[in-house]
Amino acid sequence: MKRGFPVALAVALGLLSLYPLQATGYGIRVMLQLFMWIALAQSWNLISGLTGYVSFGHVAFFGMGAYTASILIAKAGWAWPLACLAGGVMAMVLALVIGWPCLRLKGPYFAIAMLGLNEVLRVAVSYYEGLTGGGNGLSLPTLDASVRIYYAMGLVAALVTALTYVIITSRFGLRLMTIREDELAAEAMGIDTFRYKLYAFLLSAVGPGIVGGLAARDQGYIEPISVFPLVTTITMIVMALFGGKGTIWGPVLGAVLLFTFQEMVWARFIYLHQLLFGAVIVAVVLLMPRGILGVLQQKYNLPRTI
Amino acid sequence: MLITPAMIGQVVISGLLAGSLYAMVALGLGLIFGVMRVLNVAHGPLLMLGAYTTFGLFHWLGLNPYLSLAASMPLLFVVGAVLQWGLVRRVVDAPELSSLLLTFGLAIGIVNLAQLAFSSDLRSVEYLTGSFVLGPFAFSKSRLIACGFAVVITAGAFLFLKMTRLGKAIRAVSQSREVAQVCGINVQRIHMIAFGFASALAAGGGSLVAVMVAIQPEMGGVYTFKSFLVIVLGGAGNYPGALLGGLLLGLVEQLSSLFLTTQVNEAVAYILLVLVLLVRPTGLLKGRAA
Amino acid sequence: MAPILEISNVVKRFGGVAAVNGVSLTLEPGRIYGLIGPNGSGKTTLFNCVTGVETRDEGEIRFRGARIDGLKPHRIFHLGLGRTFQIIRVFPELTALENLLVVTTGPYAESRRRAEELLRFVKLEGLAGEFAGNLSYGQQKLVEFVRVLMTDPELILLDEPAAGVNRTLLNELLDAVQKLRDAGKTVLLIEHDMKVVMGLCETVFVLDHGEKLAEGPPGVIQSDERVIEAYFGR
Repeated sequence: MKRGFPVALAVALGLLSLYPLQATGYGIRVMLQLFMWIALAQSWNLISGLTGYVSFGHVAFFGMGAYTASILIAKAGWAWPLACLAGGVMAMVLALVIGWPCLRLKGPYFAIAMLGLNEVLRVAVSYYEGLTGGGNGLSLPTLDASVRIYYAMGLVAALVTALTYVIITSRFGLRLMTIREDELAAEAMGIDTFRYKLYAFLLSAVGPGIVGGLAARDQGYIEPISVFPLVTTITMIVMALFGGKGTIWGPVLGAVLLFTFQEMVWARFIYLHQLLFGAVIVAVVLLMPRGILGVLQQKYNLPRTI
Repeated sequence: MLITPAMIGQVVISGLLAGSLYAMVALGLGLIFGVMRVLNVAHGPLLMLGAYTTFGLFHWLGLNPYLSLAASMPLLFVVGAVLQWGLVRRVVDAPELSSLLLTFGLAIGIVNLAQLAFSSDLRSVEYLTGSFVLGPFAFSKSRLIACGFAVVITAGAFLFLKMTRLGKAIRAVSQSREVAQVCGINVQRIHMIAFGFASALAAGGGSLVAVMVAIQPEMGGVYTFKSFLVIVLGGAGNYPGALLGGLLLGLVEQLSSLFLTTQVNEAVAYILLVLVLLVRPTGLLKGRAA
Repeated sequence: MAPILEISNVVKRFGGVAAVNGVSLTLEPGRIYGLIGPNGSGKTTLFNCVTGVETRDEGEIRFRGARIDGLKPHRIFHLGLGRTFQIIRVFPELTALENLLVVTTGPYAESRRRAEELLRFVKLEGLAGEFAGNLSYGQQKLVEFVRVLMTDPELILLDEPAAGVNRTLLNELLDAVQKLRDAGKTVLLIEHDMKVVMGLCETVFVLDHGEKLAEGPPGVIQSDERVIEAYFGR
């Protein structure tokens, strides 16, 4: 099993990189979205899964990246790859600004602060109308870059997953986990929990920032409601929870399963969408709080690198 | 812009009017947190259900919205108690993450159900319009009456907590669950009642607000956040603190609308939260750290 | 020799009640001290004030001459003051070895060597890879104990080390504490088990209702009327 996994992974990655060669435009669009969700769920996992600090406003970083990249592309003529990276950087800046005051406190207070973040950003967008186009949104010059964005999204998803692996197998990751296990004891044992939480938070913002920019470029148009919707945060959370928060492959598994389900089943019941997500969250919290992989990990004593 | 004392007076009183409503709703949230250590992210949606109850009764039965309080509050009391018994109870002792996520899931579900039942169209209860003028001050009638009810209900809640056996039991459990158990208090029953009571308070807020704002399924979110803010201001687990916090929030909001544009006004609550969290996270009155 | 810990008139209130009401203690380096008193006398609260978990309302706390009141717990830990908890606080989802590794920031190889050495010190080297949550109560207690020693602290506060521990394990623990003292460390322990206190401690402080009632060698304390009254009532 141990030797089989890297081989299977390599094969999967190989197949995925060859996919655009014979896929339809629609197919590429769908896969590209899947990569986006993997990157988002995985990033949420970095802060909420590892440290236990639930981020209810993570879509803020997605939106921040989307707007940064769009403004740079539309108003300053930047090339989209660079603009998206800038989106990631700005998302990190936002994380610093929010995290600095809010991470000093215990989990529940942090969650409260994150709940309100969306509102503020939506307000900021309309306030700086000149720059952001306000409620009318922002249009990007047309560009058919679906295939390139497919690879870009895939790359980000892979990198965030790799980052998670590196973190979980390092002492840095162990320290993050102690915050989740027992923050008081962690502090007493010399761990500057504030600093570690902040690092995790910053790292968890980059992925959504870049991916937000990519999504904006792909859509060609953004408006406040499309980049700051609560449902994006909800989806991230459900995916990571379902697959197994705090694990490496959990968010990937959750993203793949729920996204597939969404495309095939729930798309027909569009009105029940959030209700079903809500039900999944409640079910997961009550029945398998550690998610699929978490449960398997416990049952079969699997290593932490799952 | 010249600011006259009359304007200040108007703003202060408006702030207190709005604040009394915030206090009432936040008291509910504070109760849930104080008694069960659960942060009820679904508090706003419960308020929303109260608003829809009032709307429904007004629309189909022509019932006076203020009378519908007698319907929305008991109804949501039951709903809240059932939710607690069925779901919330199971995460009361789990890590905080679990209760946050659970109530979050509940919140999403409730909002979606409302969307299915009532659609996302904006509704309103056109009942009371116009202002009541007293000297240099003018107050919207619905705000005045809402404040009146809020004051009465909140006062009633405090009397209940202070004087009745049940109220004292609730306060006992808030202070120490173990000790309360040892004193023969059925803690699970208290949890249920507290959650129901809190839901009723939220629903009451919803009914009062129904006359003043547009009703739609997602209206609750902002009240969840503001209730949390009030709890932070007043100190978690500090019930009189919720009162102070609510009034303070009302005041700050009205004052800021005087000096800042209305758009930034919406962000004021958030900035206030961040400031308070930075400066005095345990609340303005002594509260328990989470 | 300069005192290693000086607690001066520390007061800590919760609501209207003073859990610690003007307590002053001085610890000389290289000795084992005991802190006893009936339940609720403020012992753990005092520990919490010293280690920064709680902020005292009044008074000063000096560690090796420098004030530490108001510092955050992790800073105090790195200054050389470690503590264990009344209810065991190991990190259950980390292995015994990892519990120790998280504490230090130095080069990995060195930390690992020290961690393994400490596990050997308490004869737990065989369980290094076991999740701490799966260990027995006594084993967890030992892990928590050596975890504190990872950074070689000068002063160690132990909160009820003997609680719930069987005789053999207890003797190992007490042995370890004495070895620490012999190596020049200072230990202050909260204990209810009088045999442990009398056998191990050189000086005992008695707290009652948040105030220091008595101070002295165990034999003297044992026969002090006020102490007996505090424990058994009038």
